Amino acid sequence: MPEVFTISQTPVTAHAFNGDRSQVAVSLNSNDAQILTRSGSEWTSNELLSEHDKTITSIDWAPNSNQIVTASQDRNAYVWQQTPDPVTGKTIWKPTLVLLRINRAATHVRWSPKEDKFAVASGARAIAICSFDPENNWWVSKLLKKPIRSTVLTVEWHPNNVLLAAGSADMKARVFSAYIKEIDERPAATVWGSKLPFNTICAEFASAAGGWVHGVGFSPSGDVLAFASHDSSISIAYPGGPVHTIRIPTLPLVTLTWTSEDMIIAAGHDCQPMVFNGSDAGWQEIGTLDDGSHAGPKAGPSTVGRLKTGAFATFRAADSRGQSDLGTADTKLTTIHQNTITSIRPYEGAAGQVTKVSTTGVDGKLVIWDTASISALTGRMGAMSMN
Amino acid sequence: MDGAFRKIDIDAFDEDVLQESELYEADSRDPAQVLEEVKARQTSVRSYLAKNDVPGALTAILENAPYGPNVEDAKTISLQTLLTILNSTKSTEIPNVLKALSMDSQDTLMKYLYKGMAMSGWADSNASVLLSWHEKLTEIAGTGCIVRTMTDRRTV
Repeated sequence: MPEVFTISQTPVTAHAFNGDRSQVAVSLNSNDAQILTRSGSEWTSNELLSEHDKTITSIDWAPNSNQIVTASQDRNAYVWQQTPDPVTGKTIWKPTLVLLRINRAATHVRWSPKEDKFAVASGARAIAICSFDPENNWWVSKLLKKPIRSTVLTVEWHPNNVLLAAGSADMKARVFSAYIKEIDERPAATVWGSKLPFNTICAEFASAAGGWVHGVGFSPSGDVLAFASHDSSISIAYPGGPVHTIRIPTLPLVTLTWTSEDMIIAAGHDCQPMVFNGSDAGWQEIGTLDDGSHAGPKAGPSTVGRLKTGAFATFRAADSRGQSDLGTADTKLTTIHQNTITSIRPYEGAAGQVTKVSTTGVDGKLVIWDTASISALTGRMGAMSMN
Repeated sequence: MDGAFRKIDIDAFDEDVLQESELYEADSRDPAQVLEEVKARQTSVRSYLAKNDVPGALTAILENAPYGPNVEDAKTISLQTLLTILNSTKSTEIPNVLKALSMDSQDTLMKYLYKGMAMSGWADSNASVLLSWHEKLTEIAGTGCIVRTMTDRRTV
C-alpha cells in the first residue's frame, strides 16, 4: 500500500528528501521552504528556510554533502548548509546566495550526481551551471544559452556529471554538455558524443505534437533519454536510433523518473503515476501504481480520462435532467492524489533498482509508492462511456 | 488604471523573438501541389463513399492533411470533404469507424472537428453532427486527443 501524507492544504511546489529519508524539504507555494522531520506517520515542520522574496519554484537536496539548493521566481538561488549558529551554538541552515546572472525567474534546479555543481533552469532562455569557487568562497555560474528559444522548464543530470538534459517551452528536449574545466575530469566518451566542451549540443528532440517539454530523465545507464510533453505524450529517445513516442489517452504528464533501465514512472494532470516499460525495440504503458482502492470499495481501477468524475456528472445532471443535487454528488477523484502531480522522485533503492518513488502535487499530499505494485488500467475504454 | 500599455506588441522590440515558423516543421510540399493533392483526394473520397467504405474515405482525407500557412484553399476543401463524410455516416456506425482509424488520423480528425465548430456560419448546419462525432471520438481516443489538438501548432 502506498504511504499517504497530507502535509498541507496548499499546493506543494517541490519536494526533496535528505540522504536517509528522515527529513524532507518542501515549499508550499510560498517564498519559504520548510524542513519536515518524520515522526511516526506524521511530518512535522522544524525549520523554515526564508530568504527568497518571491515564490520558490524548485528544491533539491544533495544526499551526501547534505546541502539544499532552492530556486525561485526572484531570479535567485540559495545554497543552504548546516552550520553552528555563532551566538547560540545551535545547528542552523545558513544560506549562500548564488550569482545566477539571469533576468527571469528560475524554474527548476538539480544537483549533479557528484554534488559539486548544480543546474538552474530559467525563463531567461538559459540554464545556469553553478559551481563553487573556493578562492572567492562563492558559487559562480556559467550560462548555457544556445540554441534555447524559450523558457527552460526542467533539467536533469546524466550519471557522468557532465551531460545535462533540458526540456523547454520551445517544444524541444535537448542534451547539453555542462563540462566545467575547473572541476570536471575529462569525461569518457558516451553514446551522446566524445568531445564535450561546454555548451555542446549532443542531441535535440522535438515533442511529437508540439507540446512544452515538462519532464526529462536519463535512464540509469545514461544511454537513453525520456521526456514528457504537454501534447499528452511521452517519448523515449535512443541517440542515433529510434525515438519511441507513446500517445496517452489522458491529460498530459509533467514529471517522470526511471526506476530501472526498462521502466519509467510518469505522472501529471491525470493525478496518478503511470508505468511504462520497454526497450529499444519499443515501449508501452503497462499500468498505474494507483489501484483506486483508496476511493472506497465501489471504485475499481480508475478510469483513464475520467469523463465521469463528480463535477462532470453534476453538470451533466443539471443540463440533461434539470437536477442540481450539489449536496449528493461525490467530487472526490478515484485516485489518491486529488490534483495534478507535479513532482515524482526516486525514494528507495539504488539507481536502476528503484523500489519506491515519492510524489507531491497541487493537492498538498506527499505519497510514497511501491514501484512493484502495478495495476492494469483495465476496461478503460468501457469505463469512459458517457451513458 | 489605463491598460493600453498591455496592448503594446513588445515582441516587435525583441531582436531574438521566437517566430511561429520555428515552432513546427513546415510542410515540405508546395502550396499548389497540396491543393492538387487535396482535389484528387476529394475524388477518391467520393469513390470510397460510393462503395460505402467510410473508414477508407476518412483515412484518405486525414492522411497528410494540409497544415501551416498559404494553403487556406486546400484546408477549406479538406474540411468540406470531411463534412460530407461525417454527414453521410449513420450515428450507430461511428464508434466502429473511429476504432478503425490510426492514432494519427484520430488526432487529425479531432483538429477538424474543432475547426468545423470554430468556422462562423458552418457550425449552424453541422453542429449536431460535429458534436456527436466529438463525443464518440473522445470516448475512444481519450482527453489526450483533445489536448493534442490544442497544443499542436500544425493547424489544419
